[in-house]
This record gives sequence, structure tokens and C-alpha cells, in this order.
Amino acid sequence: MRTVGIGVLVGALLVGGLALGQDKYIVASDIPWAPFEMVTDAGDFFGFDLDLMRAIAIVAGFEIEIRNVAFDVIIENVRTGRADIGASGFTITADRAQAVDFSVPYFLSNQAVVIRKDSGLNIVTALAGLGPNRAVGAQNGTTGFYWVEDELQAAGVNVELKGYETYPAAILDLVNQRVDAVVQDEPASKASIAAYPELLTIAGIINTNEYFGFLVRKGDPKGILPRINAALAQLGLTVRDAPGGVQELVIEEGSIIAGLMEVYFGPDLDEIMDAWIASKSLIFAGDLEGFLASMKAQLGL
Amino acid sequence: MEAVIANVVEVTRHLPMLLRSSLINIQLLLALLVVGFLVGTVVALLQVYGGRFVGVVAFVYEWVFRSIPALVLLFLFYYGPAQFGLYISSFLAATLALGFRSSAYQSQVFRGAIQSVPPGQMLAARSLGMGRGRAVISIVLPQAFRLAIPGWSNEFASVVKDTTLAYAVGLNEIMRSARIIVDRRYDLAMLALLVVALIFLVFTYAGNGLLGVVERRVRVPGLTTAEPGGTRREHG
Amino acid sequence: MTFNFDVSYLPQLAGGLVVTLEVTSCCIAIGIVLGILLALGRVYGGRFISIPCSIYIHFFRGTPLLVQLFIVYFGLPNWGIRLSAFASGILALGLNTAAYQAEYFRGAIQAVKAGQMVAARSLGLTRLQAIRHVVLPQALRLVIPPWSNELILMLKYSSIVFSIALYDLMGVGKRIASRHFNYFEVFIVLALLYLALVLLITLGLRWVERRLRVPGLGTAGRGA
Repeated sequence: MRTVGIGVLVGALLVGGLALGQDKYIVASDIPWAPFEMVTDAGDFFGFDLDLMRAIAIVAGFEIEIRNVAFDVIIENVRTGRADIGASGFTITADRAQAVDFSVPYFLSNQAVVIRKDSGLNIVTALAGLGPNRAVGAQNGTTGFYWVEDELQAAGVNVELKGYETYPAAILDLVNQRVDAVVQDEPASKASIAAYPELLTIAGIINTNEYFGFLVRKGDPKGILPRINAALAQLGLTVRDAPGGVQELVIEEGSIIAGLMEVYFGPDLDEIMDAWIASKSLIFAGDLEGFLASMKAQLGL
Repeated sequence: MEAVIANVVEVTRHLPMLLRSSLINIQLLLALLVVGFLVGTVVALLQVYGGRFVGVVAFVYEWVFRSIPALVLLFLFYYGPAQFGLYISSFLAATLALGFRSSAYQSQVFRGAIQSVPPGQMLAARSLGMGRGRAVISIVLPQAFRLAIPGWSNEFASVVKDTTLAYAVGLNEIMRSARIIVDRRYDLAMLALLVVALIFLVFTYAGNGLLGVVERRVRVPGLTTAEPGGTRREHG
Repeated sequence: MTFNFDVSYLPQLAGGLVVTLEVTSCCIAIGIVLGILLALGRVYGGRFISIPCSIYIHFFRGTPLLVQLFIVYFGLPNWGIRLSAFASGILALGLNTAAYQAEYFRGAIQAVKAGQMVAARSLGLTRLQAIRHVVLPQALRLVIPPWSNELILMLKYSSIVFSIALYDLMGVGKRIASRHFNYFEVFIVLALLYLALVLLITLGLRWVERRLRVPGLGTAGRGA
């Protein structure tokens, strides 16, 4: 009886000790989606969203585990508790806000339309369904996809919309001449142009003024959002309401977020990956300043 | 020509990733076969010995799980429990979905095999004083399972290929790896996919060979099935 | 517990159903033609014809349908052949079902008693004429049960085309579900729809089989 009692006590202490460790949250992200989420050949995840999430975790004092989940399933995963945080370039929309809770916006983006250089189309003809395939592509569940559904098809434009599980799959079909255009956020579109420089070009930008946010389960049962928002403020982000119902994102110069933006939006993707591989030990150790200094040095910024 | 060789070299670089993810397929295969075997045996027994009402229920179960596409079953098992507050992993969802589906086909095989065991066996067992249950377990089933091996091999071959469908619920098995390769290097698509096809061919023939060996090892002289040969597809 | 399904989804699903039926019927058609040719090749062809046929059949029966679909859709462009999603779908499914149908046809052709062929030849028919007018009509009747199985199978497997952005019943269902987050409800409805389809087609095929039955034409072994 005594041994059982001692065993229970030791067990309880162990469990208690473990619980005193940091909270660990599962972050779901659709990888790859350059330059927000990417993966090295060795299988490490990196990118603006993911490193920003790591920075938030360091500042707010919790641990994260990043998992690769198909984009159109992330919200479902967060809703059912399979994941705690969704970090995948999610635009904050009213529809989505009914299903999940969003953090403060951390990025502003528009949709871009990518076409083949040799197709002879422009943004209007491609979207109007006047290309040889009479079809445009988009990733399932993205605001680009819904834009084509709600703004084009609903208005009576006779264009077919093909949905893809991943963004590279959509670009692949564009390259293989099965769709005439792909609608996707501007940064990702620029990245895919860089991947196929002779074949693709951006036909134009659609001003959708979309704000990205991190998302958690509705009601935020684990209390993650306040910590994310506080961390974002600490990392250099201020959100102000501007006239016209628009929000203004003010990034403090020299802040961590400013540094991440400089590193991820501009340089060549392969160079970013090499720089990250060289610097990753720093961010894993929690040294954000050192990580950014190393990245900038590697990239020659 | 050099381009082709360069491509082949490039694809072989990805071979470790493909093989590692094929392990997931194998694990799924074993898990779902176990589920299918256990449930299938029970359903078959219910249909043969269970009486009218139970037999009808078993028949409906079989028909439902054979008529709904595997993909629909996969999604139902993956998203369904969430409706009731439970969430289960892709692997478990795939195991259950494909396992119950396989049980419907396996129960057909077992039912045929049980009914092929000469009725004299059951009579003899009963006349020796064995209870019905005991007779089934000790006398009928061992013979039935031996008779079932050809049909079961058929099911095995089908199910090996069906494990690829689990990629639709996010399982990191071989097709998901193949898609990653294709998305990243579209010029390697054909080669990479042919490699995947080859892996499956090898595995299917190895599996069938193994089952053939098993059949020969457990054969009981004088106990054969009346079924004429020819491998029929239970399901693709 | 709420059942979150809107009636407005039905027209979309109907569109998906049409695509499912189109894909199934086209691939079965390809399968019949190619399957008969392969079976004839294996039964009546010399070594040079029957061996390639065998290789084809072993490949398509030994590899997963999904791999075959991706080979057609993603692999063929590497060789300069770019098919649309629909064409890729029916080609891959058609090639696959042809391999299985070839085996059913071969079994049926071989089940037609050898005496039929001998009798036909002795009446002066050429081999080709004998095949066309005597062997095949009987074989085709014998093949209906396993072939019906195949048709139902292809109906179910047609659902994989959703993975190449072809909006059949499954593709439409998934699209609706991912927008409105009612995955469970949508897939229950899909399951019921497929069950209804299978039931209808099964009953229809049984009717056809009864109508086409030839008295006295059974499986092999009824005596010369």
C-alpha cells in the first residue's frame, strides 16, 4: 500500500512538473505558399508567417508545433480542436469570422492575376473567360477563389473556376495550359513568377485590400489571442483605424516585424532559404535579433 | 539523352522520401486488414448462423459499405466524429473507413467459404456433443479460412491499392509525397509517378507470392473449394 | 444537433451528378472496346500480340487507380501530351477498367464451348466471322454479371477525379463543404446519393440480364 501511495505521489509530481512547463500549441499552415510558408529540402518549415509565429511564441512565452495542413481544411481543424492556431496567410473575412476568431491584422495584400507570357491575354480577357481554356484557377478556400465565384461568376461572366488543393498545383495547371489565369495573393503570385520566369507574368492586380490575421477557435477557449496580439504589438505592429472603415498597419522601423518583412519580401527565394538554413539555430534558440542580423548579413541587406 | 539521365538521378534523390511514406501505406494496410478481418468474420458468421432478422441486418451492412465510394467513407469517418466533439487522426479515420469497407467484402468471402465447408462436418461435431459455438470455432472456421484464402488474396490485392485514397484525408502516405514532388518539379512528374507505380507492382506481387506460400503451407489434403479459377475484381 | 444543409446546394450537386455520370459512361465505353480487343488478343492472338496484352493487363491491375490518373494528368505533359481534366479522367479510368474487363471477356470467351467455334468453322465461316457472329454474342451475355460489378465499381471510383479539379459529385460536395464548413452533412447526402445511384443501376442491370438471357447458355461444364 505504501509503495502505491509513493508511486502516486511521484506520478503526480511528475505530471505537475510537466504541466508547469510552457503551453504548447499546434499551428496549422498550408506549406508551401511562398514567401509566407516554405519548406527546406531537409523538411524544416520557414517563411514570413511561420517565423513571425515563432517570434510571437518567443515573446509571449509559449511553444508551438507547426503542421502542414491543406489550406481549405485548416479552419475545420481549428474549429474541431485538431489545431490551435491557423497561420497561413488567412484574409480576415466576415464569413470566416463567424467560424473562427482572428488576431489583429498583420499584413495587407491584394489579389494578383498570373498568366502565361505567351498567351496574349491581359487581365480583362483572361478573367472574362476569353482565353483558350475559358477557365481560371485558384486555390481551394482562398479569398482569390471566392472572388472569382462572387465577383465574376455571380455577375454572369462565363468563366470556369477550377480549384486546387495547393497553390503550386494551380500554377502547374497554368503552365500546362489547362487554365488561362490563376488568381492569388500578390506576394505568392510574385514568388511563382520568380519560379517560372520565362513562362509566367502578372497580368495585373485586383484591389481587394485584404488583411491577414492569425486565427484560433471561436471563443478562444485557451486564451491564445490576447497573447498573440500583445506579442505583435511588442514586435513592432500598431493597428490604427483610418477614415473610411479602413485599418492602417503601422510597422515600427527597425522592429522585428520590419526586419522579417525586409528579409522575406524582396530577395530571391533560394537565397532566403540558404540564409535561413544558416541562421535557423538562432531563431530556435530564441534569439530574434541575432536571427535577423544573420539573415540580413547572409542576404546582403 | 543527358536530360533523361539527369532526371532519373534527380528522381532517385527523392526515393528515400517516397519509400518512407510508403511505410505509412503498409501500416494502414495492416491495420485496416485486421479491422476488416475481425468485423468481416463476425458479419459472415451472423449471416450464416444468425437467423432471419440478423441476416438481413448483416446484408444491409454489407450492401451499404460496398456501395458507398471509398472516398466518401473516408471523409465521413474523418469529419463525422467532429460533429460529436471527437476528433480522430487521419490514420485512424482511414483505418476505420477502409477497414469497415473491407469487412463488407471479406464477409462475402468468408460467408462463401463457411458455406463451402461440407455440412457433414457440423453434424459430426454436434453428434460428438460439441455445442454449436464450439463446433463453429473449432471445426468450421479453421477449414473455412483455408478455403477463403484465394478469395481473400483477391481482396488483399485490391486493398493494397486503395490505401492511396487516404491521401484525401491528409495522410502523409506515398501519394502525398508524390504530389509534393510533382508540384515542385513538374518536369519529373512522369518518372516519379512511374517509380511509385513500380513500388506498388513489386509490393502487390510480393504480397500475392507470400499469400500463395501461406496457402500451400496450410493446405489440408482433400479440402478444396469447388470454385473454378480466375481472379475476379471484388473492387478495383 | 443541427443538420446544416441548404436546399440551394441541390442544383450544384445536380451539376456534379451529371459530370459523374458522364465520366462513368465514357470510361466504361472505352473499357468495353479496349477490353474486348485485349481479350481477343490474349485468346486468339499469337505470342506477339498476347504478351503485350498481358503486360498491359498486369500493369493496370497491379497499380493504384490514383497513380494511373496522376500519370495521365501530370505525367503525360512531360511527353508533350496535355489533356484536359475530363479527357484525363476518362482516359485513366477507361484504361484501368479495360484491364479488368479484358479478363472478364477472356473468361467468357473461353467459357463459350470450343465446339461452337469448330461448328462455325465447319460451316465455312472464317475465324473472324466465327468470332463476330457466334462466339462474341454468347460471350457478351455470359459476361454481364461480372461486368455489372465493374460498372458499379467505376461509378464509385469516378469520384477520384475530384483530385484533378474536375467537379463531379464528389468535387462539388467538397467545394460546398469547405466553404460552409458542413462537411459531415454534405458527405452524408453524398453517401445517400451514391447509394441511390448504385441501387438504380443494379436493378436496371438485372432487368437487362433477364431480357438478354439465352436458355441453355450457362457457364462452362454443361457437356459438349
